[in-house]
Amino acid sequence: MPSRSVDLPQGTLDLLILRTLSLEPLHGWAVAERIQQISSDVLRVQQGSLYPALHRLERRGWIKARWGTSENNRKAKFYELTRAGRRQLEVQRDAWEKLTAAVTQILETA
Amino acid sequence: MLHDLMFRLRTLFRRPAAENELDDELRFHLERQIAKYVSSGMREEEATRRARLEFGGIDQVKDECREARGISFLETLVQDLRYGARTLLRAPAFTACAVLTLALGIGANTAIFSVVNSVLLNPLPYPNPQELLAARQNDSRPNLKDIQRQTSSFAASGGVNIEPMDFTGNGEPVRIHAAYVDAGLLQTLGVQPMLGRWISDDEDVKGGPGNVVVSYPFWRDFLGSDVHILGKGIRLSGNSYTVIGVMPSDFHLPKEPADVFVSLWVAYPEAAPFRGVHFMHTYWRLKPGVTLAQAQGDIAQVDRRLAEQFPDTEKARGTILIPLHDWLVGNIRPALLILFGAVGLVLLIACANFAMLLMARAVARQRELMIRASLGARNSRLIRQRLTESTLLSLVGGAVGLLVAKLGTMFLIALKPAALHHFHTIPMDARVFAFVFAISLLTGLLFGLLPAWSASRGDVAEALRENQRVTGIGRSRSFLRSFLITAEVALALILLAGAGLLIKGFLRLRSVNPGFNPANVMTMYLQLPATRYPEIPSQTNFRRDLLARINALPGVETAMISDIPLSGNFVDHRVVIDGRPTPAVGTEPEVQTLAVMGDYFRLMQIPIRAGRDFVATDREGQPLVAVVNQAFVSQYLPGQNPIGTRIDWTRTGERHKWMTIIGVAADVKQSGLNQPVDPAIYSLFSQSDEQWRRWMTLVIKSRSPIAELVEDVKKQVWSLDSQIPISDIQSIDDLTAVSVAQQRFNMLLLGIFAALALALAGVGIYGMMAYRVNQRTHEIGVYVALGAQRRDVLRLVMKEGVMLALLGIVLGLAGAIALTRVMVSLLFDVKPTDPPTLIGVALLLGAVALLACYIPARRALGIHPMAALRCE
Repeated sequence: MPSRSVDLPQGTLDLLILRTLSLEPLHGWAVAERIQQISSDVLRVQQGSLYPALHRLERRGWIKARWGTSENNRKAKFYELTRAGRRQLEVQRDAWEKLTAAVTQILETA
Repeated sequence: MLHDLMFRLRTLFRRPAAENELDDELRFHLERQIAKYVSSGMREEEATRRARLEFGGIDQVKDECREARGISFLETLVQDLRYGARTLLRAPAFTACAVLTLALGIGANTAIFSVVNSVLLNPLPYPNPQELLAARQNDSRPNLKDIQRQTSSFAASGGVNIEPMDFTGNGEPVRIHAAYVDAGLLQTLGVQPMLGRWISDDEDVKGGPGNVVVSYPFWRDFLGSDVHILGKGIRLSGNSYTVIGVMPSDFHLPKEPADVFVSLWVAYPEAAPFRGVHFMHTYWRLKPGVTLAQAQGDIAQVDRRLAEQFPDTEKARGTILIPLHDWLVGNIRPALLILFGAVGLVLLIACANFAMLLMARAVARQRELMIRASLGARNSRLIRQRLTESTLLSLVGGAVGLLVAKLGTMFLIALKPAALHHFHTIPMDARVFAFVFAISLLTGLLFGLLPAWSASRGDVAEALRENQRVTGIGRSRSFLRSFLITAEVALALILLAGAGLLIKGFLRLRSVNPGFNPANVMTMYLQLPATRYPEIPSQTNFRRDLLARINALPGVETAMISDIPLSGNFVDHRVVIDGRPTPAVGTEPEVQTLAVMGDYFRLMQIPIRAGRDFVATDREGQPLVAVVNQAFVSQYLPGQNPIGTRIDWTRTGERHKWMTIIGVAADVKQSGLNQPVDPAIYSLFSQSDEQWRRWMTLVIKSRSPIAELVEDVKKQVWSLDSQIPISDIQSIDDLTAVSVAQQRFNMLLLGIFAALALALAGVGIYGMMAYRVNQRTHEIGVYVALGAQRRDVLRLVMKEGVMLALLGIVLGLAGAIALTRVMVSLLFDVKPTDPPTLIGVALLLGAVALLACYIPARRALGIHPMAALRCE
């Protein structure tokens, strides 16, 4: 395992999933791959937490699922953002930015 | 919110589809991951292995997804129930044992709870029953009226006295219970007649009209449910009464049996105006907002006033009011609560056995549980599955327990304890069902949790390693098992001690000498109607003729007494002794007075200790004579020769009619075997001047069968007067049985509970020992192979069980000494710490425990070392 990967802080997985799906509908495996790729392998999503998180978001109505055909021509379950999900993404993103800004400020000045 | 609910419901209803989709989704992920590794140059097998390893426990991920989708609770429950039912059905012996154990425990509890519910918890069948009070002492009508007038606490008050009356309808004359009441009674109880009306205030006066209100059963059985009965006449004790009302079917007086209700003024004008005749039970209804203490203070003032005003009869007043419900159930409450506690202990023992059964089964299923755990099922999930299973068992146990309880209450009613006299059935209402459901659920959860929790601790790997030879099943579990065994032995000992004490007390009670010989004696009660037998001479003629006629029957001897022993009935008189300074009015000694005719003492085999018995020449016109009992002599004439002493009742404004004591009879229990003997005077019916004492009880001794004799005697009575009802036909043995019925009830029930506890504890120990022997087969085999003797093997195997049983017995003894104190009120002539009883039950329990250890231990002796080693 590459040693430079870090664990996801609590609660950020939802935000990452929502953000990843805001570009295009993806299936679960692709969500994990995309997060890993974009973060240059720093963030690794465990399958054990990915799928429960997807199902939880679906239940809340922020994403919805439909069956489609994958890039390798297999039946796969694609998730896409709903309108409520898009709003939720803004809310969470806002909160995240506030939080990181605050944390950064403390780290640099205190 | 709405979305959430719809989503959950949708998933629930398309469960199989959703499950498939989850499978597909996760499989797709794995395949995709494998493909990725393969394309990066990994070999297929290596890629598969790596992908699977990364993914982790598939079951666990699925579980979490289901949970995330919110299907978990209901879904899992249904799943667990289905799974549980399947596994239970696959182990019928285990299931039957568990269900039976719980059914016995829960059933016994439910039966007792049903009684507690109907006797102690159900409200009285009157409106606003919390306002109703009863006075502990009886009172007279004038006092009742004065108190009602002079106080402000009571909305209403009323009194009742039950007297026998003869109803002569179409067939044989019947003796019925007449309630002599005052008009306020029904207003106090707050009930209205079903038909017609109640006795009004202006009818409840001297010379009032002969009106009667009848009970529903009387109306149904004797008046043919005639809806046009109002205004018609019936004959009661030779007088005509007009029916003015019929009470509702569910109405009864708080304590008294009553077939008809008549005004005391009308039915018994001789007694109604007398202040000193304290013979009415009185009931009181508080005004809203008035407390018991206020009412008590109010009534105490009037009591003082009455005592000053009427010192002759009212000097010793001191009315105590108690809530009606307490008055009615006060006597049975301690017994019922103790029985309820005892049956609770039985349930605890049953639960301990249940928990041990579950534990033994958990061990048998260890492999299955481990496989599920290694597939990723979480601990909490496994515990939950097992809780569902134990709760399922306990609910089935509860359902079967209801059946046991139904049979149990029928049995309780059949025992006919005095306190349950009014109950013909014990209903199972919603509260009883709630009770069963609650204790079943609690039992399943609590006692399922113990073993499930203790089994779930420790990690899988350790369990796997252990599995090959299960010697130490985790320390926590073997501790729990030891604890359960010790606890159930201790509880069983407490129950046995309680039962032992009651049995001993009962035997003591039965062996009390009643003072007479009840063998072959039958009794019957008769009462002469005042209309045809107003004076003593006519009464005496009837009595003498009757005795002569019955004595003429072959092989029959008879005599009569006003009230028979053990009945608790007698007439109290104050007496004065000639030559003694006369005590202040109202403080003269009060003694029981009984009137006899015929050879009563010889027939009942009551020894005459001094002087002589009555003889035929002691009769009217001859000197007045009396026989007293030994208690009378020791209390009032100690150290004197009583023979020749003259006594009389206190009389106001009349010349004394002195009776000479001619003999002293041995003491006889008049009020009950557990009651002391009070001073008593026997006088002669023929010399009496109390024409109101018109009743008598025949005591008839014969060797011929009772049924035949009864008909013969009835014929003789009716040949003298065809209008006289005969009642209370019984043998004196029956009377003895009735007088100990409550003690018998307590003893039988606690005895049954103790036997149940003993059996459950025995089975528990046996089960544990059998299981341990099974577990240690290998160890024992090695032991035998190393040359151990039979004795050594027995000692090795039995040591554990016997030690636990001994510990339980010691703890139980301590518990018994602490707890049996609450039973004092139920015990007759036995101390709650009676050493022989405690030692006896400890030995009994020890013997059962030893046997329960020995049987499995003997099986250990049969273990062949080679076979044992091979069983690896």
